[in-house]
Amino acid sequence: MFRLIVGRAASSVVTLVLISLVVFIGLELMPGDACTAYLGRDGKGAVLDSCRERMGLNRPASERFLEWGGKTLSGDLGTSMQRDRPITEIVGWRLRNTLVLSAVAALAGIPLAILLGVMAGLRRDGPLDLFISSTAIVAMTIPEFISATLLILIFAVSLGWTAGVVTIGYKAPILDLVAVSVLPAATLTLILAAHIMRMVRSSVIDVLESDYVLMARLKGVPWRQIVWRHVLPNSLLPAISVIGLTIAWLLGGVVIVESVFNYPGLGRLAVDAVGDRDLPLVQAIALLFGIIYVITNLAADLIALLLNPRLRTYRT
Amino acid sequence: MTLRKSMAALLLASAFALVAAEAHAEKVFKRANDLSYGGKESLDPISPNRFYEVNDMVYSRLVRQDDKGEPSPELAVSWTPNETATEWVLKLQDGVKFHDGSAFDAADVKYTLERIKDPALESPLASVLDFIDRVDVVDPATAKIVLSKPHSGLPLLLMDYRVRMIPEGAGAEIAKTGIGTGPFKVESYDPEGQTVLVANETYWEGKPKLDKVTFTAIPDSEARNQAMLGGQLNYNTLTLDQVPQYKDNPKFVVQDFPAGGWFGLVFRADTAPFTDPRIRKAMRIPVDRAEMVKLMVGEGNGVVGCDQPVKANDPFRAELDCPPDPEGAKKLLAEAGYPDGIDIEVHTADLEPGMVQFAEVYQQQVAKAGIRVKLTLAPSDGYWDDVWMKVPVAMTSWSARPADQILNEAYRTGSSWNESYYSNPAYDQILDKARASLDINEARKLYQEAQRVLFEEGATFIPYQQNGLRVLTADVSGIKPLDEDFIRWHLVDMAGE
Repeated sequence: MFRLIVGRAASSVVTLVLISLVVFIGLELMPGDACTAYLGRDGKGAVLDSCRERMGLNRPASERFLEWGGKTLSGDLGTSMQRDRPITEIVGWRLRNTLVLSAVAALAGIPLAILLGVMAGLRRDGPLDLFISSTAIVAMTIPEFISATLLILIFAVSLGWTAGVVTIGYKAPILDLVAVSVLPAATLTLILAAHIMRMVRSSVIDVLESDYVLMARLKGVPWRQIVWRHVLPNSLLPAISVIGLTIAWLLGGVVIVESVFNYPGLGRLAVDAVGDRDLPLVQAIALLFGIIYVITNLAADLIALLLNPRLRTYRT
Repeated sequence: MTLRKSMAALLLASAFALVAAEAHAEKVFKRANDLSYGGKESLDPISPNRFYEVNDMVYSRLVRQDDKGEPSPELAVSWTPNETATEWVLKLQDGVKFHDGSAFDAADVKYTLERIKDPALESPLASVLDFIDRVDVVDPATAKIVLSKPHSGLPLLLMDYRVRMIPEGAGAEIAKTGIGTGPFKVESYDPEGQTVLVANETYWEGKPKLDKVTFTAIPDSEARNQAMLGGQLNYNTLTLDQVPQYKDNPKFVVQDFPAGGWFGLVFRADTAPFTDPRIRKAMRIPVDRAEMVKLMVGEGNGVVGCDQPVKANDPFRAELDCPPDPEGAKKLLAEAGYPDGIDIEVHTADLEPGMVQFAEVYQQQVAKAGIRVKLTLAPSDGYWDDVWMKVPVAMTSWSARPADQILNEAYRTGSSWNESYYSNPAYDQILDKARASLDINEARKLYQEAQRVLFEEGATFIPYQQNGLRVLTADVSGIKPLDEDFIRWHLVDMAGE
């Protein structure tokens, strides 16, 4: 058990190193360098030289990679070119805001998805199942930027129930952020809930068809008890890894949703940083997204491990 | 509940309602800033990262333009040159106070103008106003600007939207405080969140009609559009494709106005075959410019020009006529040794919406004159480094500049942004004479002459200037369909509920 956990954690660390290497090499392969990208039309002569000097771009790439990696480990992500401030300071608030948005979406979406999935699975092929399943497919297929725009048009422009676009700054208190994250979170929830719901539904159906449920029914166990004791625990286990993956997706999906709603999080910052050609910031955000992705997956794995004794005894 | 208690409650409730109504009547004008400097937006009007939307409201200029673009008094009531246009005496408006209560006088003019030259500030204005040698304080209400060479267009250059007066000695903290003499005062400043301005009750032209102006950072153009549609903004700039969402909606008013930004095609005059002025002209005259406006921006959204870099409401714009002339182009090409037409390669990039289509439309338009265009799409990254001013024919894009500035900056022999490497001593002399000429009508004629020269033998094709577009909520009044730096913000009002 312990060895298994250590093994998973170690492979996550390797993944992270690989991610940082890929991010670094990707930026190195681009034409020009951080200074020519940032300065654009002005990137000539003395201005360019002094920028390269300041950013340490005159040294070999391997040396810069090791330095970047070392600094990152010590919590120093470097300095943003456009904003002229330490990246940790810029990214910190945005990361908090994105986590708030994701939390709202996940807290609303996951229970809803499980509830709908179980309902649909238990009444397989009934009118309720058909309705829930087809709605989920629609929700999954509409891209976020369309559903986001539609939600704004309906709830902010036509009905006027809520503000469409977020107008508060990135240092706003958490409760204010929660208040304005209704529509962005709803957009994320739509897709998130649809994915998880479909997973839960099919695993409920699998369990319902299993031998032990059949046995229980033959023995005359009350239906309610079968659902609570056998179906639910066994069908939710496979859903956990999907939930982990979906949460990781959620953090990527915020890039679009945050831009459309002007939500002051990491995703919008990523778009701004690319627009500003602020490569050190882009690099830092890409790495952060990687870290979040790996951590979420690791957590989902460990939770599944904790809840499912069969996985624990499995030997590698 | 007893009767008395409920009466009291009722009274209390109505009192609250009254207070609420009172608070509601506050006129808050909501705008967005696009965060194009990534949060480094500075309240220092001469900074390369100037927060110009805010600076327009909190500072004043010495000279501003009237609705026709001619110089009119703002903080300077009059400006008088000596016979050689090397010294200008400015009489200043009386009784003007900065937001911190201190009086505005000639020492502030001296400080503001001389500060622009400080190399440490890297102000883009430094090269525009490099002919200002120093400013002398004659008395508190009179400043004398001494130039290093004659310049009759000084008042026009003082109209630049960045030449805004700040208090003497305020340079170190002006980027954060925003203390000026304008109609609004900075209450809070956060370019990445919300910036709030409040009315300057003692503004010298009268109390502003709005109580507050807010700027919210919304970098994404579509998000700004949604905020406008949802009533979270009162003012926004638009792109062409967003206009239909507002047309025929009684809640909004769409304005288009001459703004002067343009796309152009640059032929390097130092590279064969464009060293021959006949060929340069043949490249430009076959095009139906009115048709190009229709295709590129839609009828009415652009002003046709004859390769002039000067915008439509600039007082020095020349009125030229340039109907499509493919036959004339053919003749010029034949004379220059290309009787069977000519092959050219045009570089463009997908840097701004329309930049690729522009080259495509050009390609079709000149085909009838025997000009065979090969289009090359260069990568957007590094376009200004590796393509522009390097290859023989390339697309360019400019925003509006005053006539004197652009005619010198981009076409004078050897100037750093001379993208076409055009060099004509006669043209340079016209500009020198224009700067030295005291009579504004005389100067106007010379600047117009310079534009005529550019049409006859210049190396840049500029078919039209694009209009600016903005949308206002219908309750806003006092904003004319003119560019942003024409707006008199203290006159802008909003209808009550």
